[in-house]
Amino acid sequence: MPESKGLIGGQYQPLSQSSIERIHQATLEIFEEVGFEVHYNKALEIFAQNGAKVDTDRKRVRLSPQLVEKTISTAPSTVVLYGREDKHNLYLEDKKVYLGTGGTAINVIDLETGEKRLSNLEDVRQIARLVDALDNIHFYLLPVFPHELPQEQIDVNRFYAGLANTTKHITGGVWHLEGARNAIKLASIIAGGYEELKKRPIISAICCVVSPLKLDKHYTELMIIVAENGIPVMVPSEALCGVTSPVTLAGDVLQVNVETLAGVIMTQLVNPGTPVVYGTVSTIADPRRMSYTSGAVEMGLINAAVAQMAQFYKIPLYATAGMSDAKLPDVQAGYEKLATSLLVALAGANYIHDSAGLLEFAMTACYEQYVIDNEINGMVMRALRGVEFNEDTLALDVIKSVGPTGNFFEQSHTVKHLRSEFFFPKVSDRLPRAEWVEKGAKDGRERAREIAKDILANHQPVPIPPEIDQKIRETISGIV
Amino acid sequence: MADFEGMGQAILDGDADKVAELVEAALKEGVAPTEILNEGLTKGMNVVGDLFKRDELFVPEVIVSAKAMKRGTEILQPLIPREKREVSKLAILGTVKGDIHDIGKNLVKSMMEGAGFEVIDLGIDVPTETFVQKALELKPHIIAMSALLTTTMVYMKDVIDALQEAGIRDQVKILVGGAPITKAFAAEIGADGTAPDAVTAADLAKNLMGLS
Repeated sequence: MPESKGLIGGQYQPLSQSSIERIHQATLEIFEEVGFEVHYNKALEIFAQNGAKVDTDRKRVRLSPQLVEKTISTAPSTVVLYGREDKHNLYLEDKKVYLGTGGTAINVIDLETGEKRLSNLEDVRQIARLVDALDNIHFYLLPVFPHELPQEQIDVNRFYAGLANTTKHITGGVWHLEGARNAIKLASIIAGGYEELKKRPIISAICCVVSPLKLDKHYTELMIIVAENGIPVMVPSEALCGVTSPVTLAGDVLQVNVETLAGVIMTQLVNPGTPVVYGTVSTIADPRRMSYTSGAVEMGLINAAVAQMAQFYKIPLYATAGMSDAKLPDVQAGYEKLATSLLVALAGANYIHDSAGLLEFAMTACYEQYVIDNEINGMVMRALRGVEFNEDTLALDVIKSVGPTGNFFEQSHTVKHLRSEFFFPKVSDRLPRAEWVEKGAKDGRERAREIAKDILANHQPVPIPPEIDQKIRETISGIV
Repeated sequence: MADFEGMGQAILDGDADKVAELVEAALKEGVAPTEILNEGLTKGMNVVGDLFKRDELFVPEVIVSAKAMKRGTEILQPLIPREKREVSKLAILGTVKGDIHDIGKNLVKSMMEGAGFEVIDLGIDVPTETFVQKALELKPHIIAMSALLTTTMVYMKDVIDALQEAGIRDQVKILVGGAPITKAFAAEIGADGTAPDAVTAADLAKNLMGLS
């Protein structure tokens, strides 16, 4: 089977080269004239110590073009995110594309009952096991919120549940400083030590920049801790066109660029060279309610254009695609998800999150949706792979030898290339109607549910070795 | 003859300068301020509200129209004593304690003003005591509260309970709103109603006052 992750995108480029350069110039102008607010004193001090123009009373930071360009140049162009098994490593660089889950949703659609309910820690475990078996979901971003846990147990238990139930890389948002520290401690034990973790980070964190143009206290404090610890951190802007950023997509891309670069700069000032991922979760506001949309095709356009900006700066990208505002896995979910995933993957975005499992403005995770989205992602990766062209695939000799009115079934050429040329769907039904009826006349959602149940009944991920697990429980309290 | 149609169009276009110009012109001709308000401005804003309900106009457009109308009402208001207004009702409005979200609240204010209410905006992060104090002081007909977070919507109940304790709960109608607010929640905390958007909120406010 041909490789189906880390494939090269970049075929779709909505911005011209001159537009990219104009955005960069305008970005420098905003950094110098307007700057951004920083609502955390320690961060304000760090900016001031490094030569920024800081107005402490107004919490306003302005950066000269020289300072911007110098600081972002220390951000590494390659960030490797590791899995507990090396086959799941992600090489975030250039235009290599990976697709994975997103979070944090607060509800799930129960696999048995089909009813929507609050999410819990068991969902974090079960969805991890499900994702572990789905090849077109390349990483596990912790998807749901464990409502039943007390505050101080949330972070470490989410990360533990992920790490214990899949060997794919684990990314997560964090709620508390102590939780962030515990998650790092936990991952260090699994990795074989803190230095080993830094060399081969099996976890990464997400710390957002607030739109418009603000580093708030909560996220920035976490951002600094993660950066100081040398653990990879995503610093996305989530601007909403028409509400917290300009209604025009180009204006949004400009503002997002400033915001996420502010996050990048923060991490590089704290720890030059620390792995950081430039990012966005930007989309448009629905004009009727000015509310957040997750399935708008414009989200795909925005993320595709932002991918070009990340490639311009040669900083890896955390992007967003593959979601839907549908309340259940219906036809709307199908077309909305495919549209954005295809656009953003073809743009060469590196780490495309949210592209599996989410519905309803990213508030609800759905078990069978992971199976469906695994299929969509498979189609997307096949599209990225493109048309393989060489003398062998050109099949000139085969066409000549088969000749008029022959057939290609029996050709060894067909056998040789079949499995690499074609994508093999597992959810899509291609049976003739009579057979389909015989098999129960099931729709896509029902077939996906069966696959999800089958995986959960049978798939065993590689566990954390028992002696390491014991050490974890001895060292860190509060793990359920 | 006052150009009421022109005022309506200017409101629809969001042209505040034009609204002011036509209002001044009408006043110069001796048209009664209440008539200008009702026939020109309120009618114009109602058209905007209807188009919004039919998804033919969107929130930014409604905001711009409301601003245009406001330019007109600012000219007229000093000339009309409150008792003479068609909707002579007062509302106080605010985002509850701990919550700084205000876009929706501001839109509700605009739409309620467009519907003829006088609206006093207490701002954001308004302590429970302030709602009660202002209610005692200003004797509004309506108290409208906004919250965007599940963690802050709980304060709406505090305000209602406090108004009950102060003995004035039955002298006001209470509206609540914001993304996490459901009909069930509004009923549970004892509010008089909730609406999913600013235009419906203004309609609801009028209904609660026994106006249509």
